[in-house]
Amino acid sequence: MLLPVLLSYSGFTALCLSMDRHHRDLLARTPTARVRRLLQLCGWALLGLSLAAAVLATGWSLGLVEWCAALMASAMLLVWLLPYRPRLVMRLAALGLLFSPLVALALG
Amino acid sequence: MKEGFRQAMAWLHTWTGLIFGWILFAIFLTGTLSYFNDEISHWMQPEVPVRQVSSEASLTLAQRYLQQHAAGAGRWVISLPSARDPGLSVSWQMPGNEGRRGPREQRQLDPLSGEVLQVRDTRGGDFFYRFHYQLQMPHPWGRWLSTSAAMLMLVALITGIITHKKIFKDFFTFRPRKGQRSWLDGHNAVGVLVLPFHLMITYSSLVIFMYMVMPASILVAYQGDTDSFFSELFPASESPKAQGQPGQLLALAPFVERAREHWGGGQVNLVTVSHPGDVKATVNVMRSSADRVMYEFGNAVAFDGVSGAFLTADPARPTPIAIAGSFYGLHLGHFAGPTLRWLYFICGLAGTAMIGTGLVIWLGKRQLKHAKSGVMPFELRLVEVLNIASMAGLLIAVATFFCANRLLPVSLAERGEWEVNSFFIAWGLSLVHALVRRGRAAWVEQLALAAGLFCAVPLLDALGSEQSLRVLLAQGDWARLGFDLTCLGSGVFLAWAAFKMRRAGQLGGKAPARTARVISKVEVN
Amino acid sequence: MKSLPVSYRLAVTSRVLAALFGGYLLAALASICMSLWLPMARAEAVVSGMMTSFLVYLVAVLWCFASRSAWQAWFGLLLPGLVLAAFGGLGYGLGQS
Repeated sequence: MLLPVLLSYSGFTALCLSMDRHHRDLLARTPTARVRRLLQLCGWALLGLSLAAAVLATGWSLGLVEWCAALMASAMLLVWLLPYRPRLVMRLAALGLLFSPLVALALG
Repeated sequence: MKEGFRQAMAWLHTWTGLIFGWILFAIFLTGTLSYFNDEISHWMQPEVPVRQVSSEASLTLAQRYLQQHAAGAGRWVISLPSARDPGLSVSWQMPGNEGRRGPREQRQLDPLSGEVLQVRDTRGGDFFYRFHYQLQMPHPWGRWLSTSAAMLMLVALITGIITHKKIFKDFFTFRPRKGQRSWLDGHNAVGVLVLPFHLMITYSSLVIFMYMVMPASILVAYQGDTDSFFSELFPASESPKAQGQPGQLLALAPFVERAREHWGGGQVNLVTVSHPGDVKATVNVMRSSADRVMYEFGNAVAFDGVSGAFLTADPARPTPIAIAGSFYGLHLGHFAGPTLRWLYFICGLAGTAMIGTGLVIWLGKRQLKHAKSGVMPFELRLVEVLNIASMAGLLIAVATFFCANRLLPVSLAERGEWEVNSFFIAWGLSLVHALVRRGRAAWVEQLALAAGLFCAVPLLDALGSEQSLRVLLAQGDWARLGFDLTCLGSGVFLAWAAFKMRRAGQLGGKAPARTARVISKVEVN
Repeated sequence: MKSLPVSYRLAVTSRVLAALFGGYLLAALASICMSLWLPMARAEAVVSGMMTSFLVYLVAVLWCFASRSAWQAWFGLLLPGLVLAAFGGLGYGLGQS
């Protein structure tokens, strides 16, 4: 459960940053079209990796359920933190990205 | 025409949301609590200890007890301890007069010693579970009402999606401290972000009762013979009848391992024995529904109780029936481990909050128009009273139910029923209170009362407990401790909510003009 | 809040009735058709029909409120209803022979 959540949280943060309004709130600058596209790509890729992580760990039936749960939980966390603790949002995403490969290796 | 369509859907969303909102709030809240029904039941029967014993060991104890006290019974049912339900219970039915079944007897045993436990009479978490689809109404009206509510919930969800113009643009948007705008953002957030859960839970609830509410196809395809439909759907293996000759029942514990071998793993929660003293005794070992996502009705392995021979096993289901079973399984969430179960709970609370915020927004928008005159038209006052009673009042009732479990004397007759009565009495009183008090005051007072009652729950548990905290920690009774902590947390949250409500009321004057402008912008979305 | 004209209220009531009862009827007819025509075992076809019928009910309800008039709501249900009833009758007849 941990790995899918870390990956989906980072993915959603990337997708969030790809939006002008939120990019300005979090990073105090307007993103160029290239940056926006890159963030979108990364975001969707991370969400896809999150699905892979869930399915590889517990098979398709339980994996899909866990993936949906990870998506919903990480999205709720992100949206709740965004207006109150924007810097924490970024830090958690960074930590998530940092720890995911380690967690993936640990789980084998 | 496009504008017309969205507006029509917005109208539909608003009215289905309002009319069924109060019932749906109650269904969602009690349904959400049901995800922890075993844990709630365990908390409500603190006499049952948590023991670390194997299925085989407790099964052996159960068999010994039944052989001593229920040798002539027609059927034994043994419910083994599981991760979520530490109780070992046995029940049996003696053959009654004229071939009819006699009364059913049930005992709770200590899984370690096999001794009978004196456990207080209570409906436990099962009360919330049954309430959320039966609504305390006589059969089958409650189910019809809850299923109709589910259909309208589906309409409300889909019309909500259609109406929400900026569903992708506003995906991550939540702007607190902006009055009605924040409430709408919140409503959208718990709606959109948790949409997979909401859609799943609503559609699966329709599938669960589809045999009852949509029987047309059964009646036409089977020309009224519903029995043959159900027997084709769930091919029930007929248990051999009693032969009338005595037979020696084998030890039950090894059957568990043999069943597990057949399934290639899995857990066993239920073992039944038909005609235990007879030479044609049959042992049914039922697989726990927690083993897989798809819920299977009666996935059991049957053995001959005297010879030990393998009799039958339930076959694999064809695809459409597997799909229906998956809807069932996803809704019930039996397969969920602790983390996933908490997520189910959180998503359920999100759904409850979605409905609640919707009701508050519905009223808030229209209340502003009458803010200056101070007098509310009858319809709005009605909605206000129902909002308070169905939300804050329900929370008071839930907390009262738990407090009653610890306060009512253990020896009271019909104790379980009186716990339920206290739930409804508290709910009814909250309705009266909401009628008598002015809107904001009623909210603050009821939320504060709910907060107090929820905080009282762990106190009552600690005060009346036979086991000390150290013993509970040593036993690993996380269900009971987790329950106490969750109640405490809920109490703190409700106290915060009451405080915010009160402060908002005190700052009342400044808000209306600004929010009125926001509201007119927010009219369709 | 000004009082709404009676014609409006009647139109809304008509749409509500169409959605509630007409929608249910349409869903039931759809489930019957599916249970008779789907190429699978009888019990499986019945289950598939029942599960899908709720989607039909949903679409019918949305139609009843999206249509330009209450009359259009009813007609929009009537036409598919007759088609489904015809197919259902055909399926039932074929099954009998």
